[in-house]
Amino acid sequence: MSVCKSCPWTRAGARLLLSVLSLTLGGWGQSVWANDAMDTLQLHGFISQAWVVSDHNRFFGPSSEDQGSFQFTEIGLNASIRPHRDVLLAAQILSRRAGGERDDMRPELDHGVFDYQAYADATTRIGTQIGRFKNPFGFYNQTRDIAFTRPSILLPQSIYFDRTRSLGLAADGIAVYGEKRIPLGTFRAQVGAGRPQIDDDVSATLGLDGHPGELASDTSFIGQVLYEHPTGNFTAALSAAEVNGTYESSLPGLNDGQMRFQPWILSLQYDQEFWTLTTEYAIRNVALQGFDAPGVDFDIAGESWYVQYLRRFHRDWQWLLRYDVLVSNRDDRSGRWLEARGNGPDHGSYARDLAFGLQWRAHPRLLLSTEYHYVEGTGWLPNQDNPPDETQKYWNMWLFQASWRF
Amino acid sequence: MLPSHAVALSEELLLIVHPSVEHQRITRNTARAVFAMRQRTWPDGQAIHVVVMPNGHPTHERFTKEILGVYPHQLQLSWDRLVFSGTGQAPDQVSTPRSMLERIATTPGAVGYIERGYVDERVQVVPMD
Repeated sequence: MSVCKSCPWTRAGARLLLSVLSLTLGGWGQSVWANDAMDTLQLHGFISQAWVVSDHNRFFGPSSEDQGSFQFTEIGLNASIRPHRDVLLAAQILSRRAGGERDDMRPELDHGVFDYQAYADATTRIGTQIGRFKNPFGFYNQTRDIAFTRPSILLPQSIYFDRTRSLGLAADGIAVYGEKRIPLGTFRAQVGAGRPQIDDDVSATLGLDGHPGELASDTSFIGQVLYEHPTGNFTAALSAAEVNGTYESSLPGLNDGQMRFQPWILSLQYDQEFWTLTTEYAIRNVALQGFDAPGVDFDIAGESWYVQYLRRFHRDWQWLLRYDVLVSNRDDRSGRWLEARGNGPDHGSYARDLAFGLQWRAHPRLLLSTEYHYVEGTGWLPNQDNPPDETQKYWNMWLFQASWRF
Repeated sequence: MLPSHAVALSEELLLIVHPSVEHQRITRNTARAVFAMRQRTWPDGQAIHVVVMPNGHPTHERFTKEILGVYPHQLQLSWDRLVFSGTGQAPDQVSTPRSMLERIATTPGAVGYIERGYVDERVQVVPMD
């Protein structure tokens, strides 16, 4: 993660976390709000370290070199408290490196929310989150950096890739959520409006990193509706977002332009005691508009899907098999047009990933995982580690990860 | 110790709450939401305080599967997602039936489960529809 230039939120978030803690520890919460406010304080955290080895192409650091890469690290710490029965204050600091620079480890505010439950009865719940809220996007986005919530070390990269990670992660604004339980099942909805964080990863992916200028976020929208069968055996969700940004050019001859990112994800899961079948399908529209210079504007639709079978074969053990496909541009599935334009080899426009993974919960607090990926194409390979012309079409990757939580 | 544990295993599991909870009955659907940590308050407005036993404990497993009709891994994932996304909290954990009884009896708004043999007058049993 690089530092977000357009938002002073990191410091503000740290202050929020501190004030939550000091309010609580100072006992102020006890006297003014509820008697048991102090009892509701929870602290949780995790630390995950991976070792990545590949035969070709660099993934999250120098994975294809002698010793592989140890540059995939995730550390998080969160606090939450309920100072009032209808109020939840929650914040999390995240430090993450996935290749890139050592500087990326600088801790950032992952989320920091004031959550107010405005209405609740035996079957209904309506509330709002104000602050930096996590975007409900697909099944995994809200907790994508926490190994214990992932079925594998890497989430399906066709949808949860790192290239434009900052865009979808969280937004600074307001969200409204609702939940209704009827005998048929549970319906949940969440809509949010706010400013996303735009880091350098987005500029690089859009091809703007070579230009002197800055991509700033504008008001963006996200929404998800979810249905869950009463037993939890079947879940379906539809997520949509419109993420807007403005490119402010500082180069004479290149005017300002607009960025628009509109992803949709359909998510389906069937969950049994010993196995889980999951599939997600996504369409992403990405457009740059309003640039006078030729060749900068574009409007493309990308497509992703995966099917994943997870088997719990022993109390603390599970294995997983997944086939995951990314197409960066639906009008150029083979990448011929990409190559013709001189934007790197054709295999950079897609990726087909067959993955097999194994997880062992050695202890309730310790998760050990390994997985193997056979990949054709480099469509989701992070740009930062790989000059496009030096990538290989077919590659193999092994990952090992240890994750500890409290 | 072992024989009495074996007896307890086959005993009926009950949903118990702190006496302050004004709840005559509870539906299975509501109980699921409560133990998934998605229902934060009782209908009378009081904050809900969920107490569970560890994953892998036979009583927790029985309660989850037989009473709630869900699997322990589903509850665990639900808690983890809430805790690490800033949308909720994790339940309190106790490791023995006696500490479960103690916690429910002394915590306003508390809800948990226990084998019938351990129940005493300090907690309220709530029948489930």
